[in-house]
Amino acid sequence: MFVHIRELAFKYPNAKESTIKDFNLTIDQGEIISILGESGSGKSTILRLIAGLEMPTNGNIMVGDHCMCSNSSFIQPEKRGVGMVFQDYALFPHMTVEDNIKFGLQKWPRKDKKERIGEVLELVNLEDYRKRYPFELSGGQQQRVALARALAPKPKLLLFDEPFSNLDADLQIRIREELRRIIKATGVTSIFVTHDQDDSQALADRIVVLRKGAVAQIGTPSEVLGTDCSFDERLPVKPRILSRV
Amino acid sequence: MKWFRTLKLTMNMWTVLSIIFVLLVLLPNLSIIVQFFSEPNENWLHIREYMLQQYIQNTLVLVLFVGFLTLVIGTSLAWIISAYDFPLRGFFQWGLILPLAIPPYIGAYTYHGILNYTGVIQTSLRNQFDMTVNQQYFNIMNMPGAIFILTIFLFPYVFTITKAFLARQSTALVENARILGSSSWRIYFKVVLPISRAAIIAGVSLVVLEVLNDYGVVSYYGIQTFTTAIFQTWFGMGDLQSAVKLAGTLMIIVLFLLVLERIFRGRRRYSFTTTKVKLLQPVKLEGKQKWLAFSYCSFIFLIAFLIPIAQLLHWATLTYKQFFSNEFWGLIWNSITVAFIAASMIVVIAVVISNFARLNRGMLAKTFPKVTILGYSIPGAVIAVGIVTFFTAIDRELFDFYEWLGLQPTLVISTSIFMLIFAYVIRYLAVGYNSIESGFDRIGTNFTEASRMLGMSVTKSFFKVDMKLIRGAIFGGFILAFIDIMKELPLTLILRPFNFDTLATKAYQYASDEMIHQAAIPSIIIVVVSAMAIYVFHHVLEKE
Ligand SMILES: Nc1ncnc2c1ncn2[C@@H]1O[C@H](COP(=O)(O)OP(=O)(O)OP(=O)(O)O)[C@@H](O)[C@H]1O
Ligand SMILES: [Mg+2]
Repeated sequence: MFVHIRELAFKYPNAKESTIKDFNLTIDQGEIISILGESGSGKSTILRLIAGLEMPTNGNIMVGDHCMCSNSSFIQPEKRGVGMVFQDYALFPHMTVEDNIKFGLQKWPRKDKKERIGEVLELVNLEDYRKRYPFELSGGQQQRVALARALAPKPKLLLFDEPFSNLDADLQIRIREELRRIIKATGVTSIFVTHDQDDSQALADRIVVLRKGAVAQIGTPSEVLGTDCSFDERLPVKPRILSRV
Repeated sequence: MKWFRTLKLTMNMWTVLSIIFVLLVLLPNLSIIVQFFSEPNENWLHIREYMLQQYIQNTLVLVLFVGFLTLVIGTSLAWIISAYDFPLRGFFQWGLILPLAIPPYIGAYTYHGILNYTGVIQTSLRNQFDMTVNQQYFNIMNMPGAIFILTIFLFPYVFTITKAFLARQSTALVENARILGSSSWRIYFKVVLPISRAAIIAGVSLVVLEVLNDYGVVSYYGIQTFTTAIFQTWFGMGDLQSAVKLAGTLMIIVLFLLVLERIFRGRRRYSFTTTKVKLLQPVKLEGKQKWLAFSYCSFIFLIAFLIPIAQLLHWATLTYKQFFSNEFWGLIWNSITVAFIAASMIVVIAVVISNFARLNRGMLAKTFPKVTILGYSIPGAVIAVGIVTFFTAIDRELFDFYEWLGLQPTLVISTSIFMLIFAYVIRYLAVGYNSIESGFDRIGTNFTEASRMLGMSVTKSFFKVDMKLIRGAIFGGFILAFIDIMKELPLTLILRPFNFDTLATKAYQYASDEMIHQAAIPSIIIVVVSAMAIYVFHHVLEKE
């Protein structure tokens, strides 16, 4: 088991009840996990907990052989070696594509830095855009820069929060395929969050269905979504057709 | 275990510095509260028996009248300018903020100079028309005069806040009312005033705080208020202890007013949501109405800016030689240095506290921003009393310490410029803080989090990302604080070291010594610098 999350619980200080309740999950190395759930079910919160941007009220998170957090210890996000692609990408507007990617490589030797930047830019097919600023890129290109930036420092684990929500439907389908190719090419273990079943189905090795902050179901796409027609009743997720609109 | 984990994580440099800064801001104020309850001396009993009532009465009369008049002028101008189009509207949009560039004390002696026996009006009447007027009608140095002065130079606070609110938040309601055929007066009283209540109250409370802070106008016009009383008991009678009591009383009044403001403002805060702003479309006025609106705005602009400026410029031509004296350049140097140092410190402290507050949850992160606002609500004279008592106490400790070390003992802090700068920082921290906080609000925490996910600590993220993104807000906060400090009078008068003068204190002194002409050039410099800043902020930045 590469990632091991046990009895994770969390409550926002100003909220009445816990946002995350007794969340358990194990992930193999290189696996792509999708967390699927309706809006407000706590998907982003789970990612933030794994990233270290929030401190859980209870539970352990192990990545590789390292304990990221337990009831007595907490590793800061910058020390975790976990990468994240944000919903709005959060590309630094005052830096070029190249500088954005270089940002996570500050401790690398100069020569390796340059090489690595070339590598990831090639991976996401953006070699010609090095000197551009984020606002000079299209939505899809921005997303690929965000991916390249997160991949560059070779994270042990990569997190995506609604990676497609800012793209139009056509682009979403094309990028989905490409994203899977890239992730599999690097072999990085990934978790991505979505409310769209198509995304989950196309990308994930396994799907975790989240409801009100607790795991409702875990399994392969065909197990969870498959041909089970009672699914839409059980799952308060938008029907497929609607999610296109 | 868990609390220990939390403590270890939150105890970083940002937290520690924030706590230190907040304590520094709080201590002088606490110092007043503590001494407020000390045993009263005879002098205080006398003051309380025979004079306190007068102070309270005068202060309240000033606050009530100026508050009400600025409300009327500020909101009516804001409404006319937001809702109607008429000649020079574009200019008045920011031109009517310009009176803020003239500190009321400068306005006070300028108007006195215009109206008195040797002033331009009476001399013209005498020379041109051979008329001698009853001095009584031309005497401005009384309560109505002070109300007039404070009103015309402070109404822009109400005007700007209400205008900003109306332009962005009232569109739907006002357009509906127009469609339903309501008359303009009806809309003003039934729609505009009620919906902008929170904004208006915010503006009026700024005015009230300025009135309570004022020393220049009331002392020049010979009106007994709390601030003048604090000066008199302290310097006239040498009774710091009673000054503390007065300061404490005034502080209680201010706190009472702040609570009142909260209640009146209600739950709705005036917030400028930036998303999906639909601007109110002004209606073009025709015929008589057009000229009525134009005349009203022109009249206010004339008396609140143009006339005093023209008078100051005229005096300046009589005394321009001043400009070439070393003493004068010394004043400029003093003003700029203290304002620069204090504004820089303000920016640093504001950045540390606001960055701490936005990246943390919990009690401290919630209360600290409120503490930084505190100083701005408390009149300068009160802060001065707090600081002096606080620092003399420290100095006395140090005094013993030096003796114990075998050094030549001196009172170091309480006689140095350090105290003045410290006071500026407390009083104007809020100005820098607001600007920087709104900068942080705009960028949110996403960039910081992205940076941390890429391996940068909070501090490194701040320098590499956040600071670059809020450069404008930091600079804005610095400029605003700088200008407020340059204009400041009561704190500077009380706390400046011996023989240390700034443009503001010198202008005030010339005026008090009946050398009004000499006061013109330092005053004009203050006004011009402030006006430039207003122009940049409201004209250039608003267009962006
Ligand atoms: N900073 C916060 N303070 C208090 N409550 C919060 C905060 N952020 C989120 N919540 C609450 O926690 C719950 C889970 O939020 P979360 O953002 O994890 O949902 P989500 O599944 O990512 O939803 P979406 O699909 O809309 O992004 C929601 O009910 C939300 O209102
Ligand atoms: Mg979310």
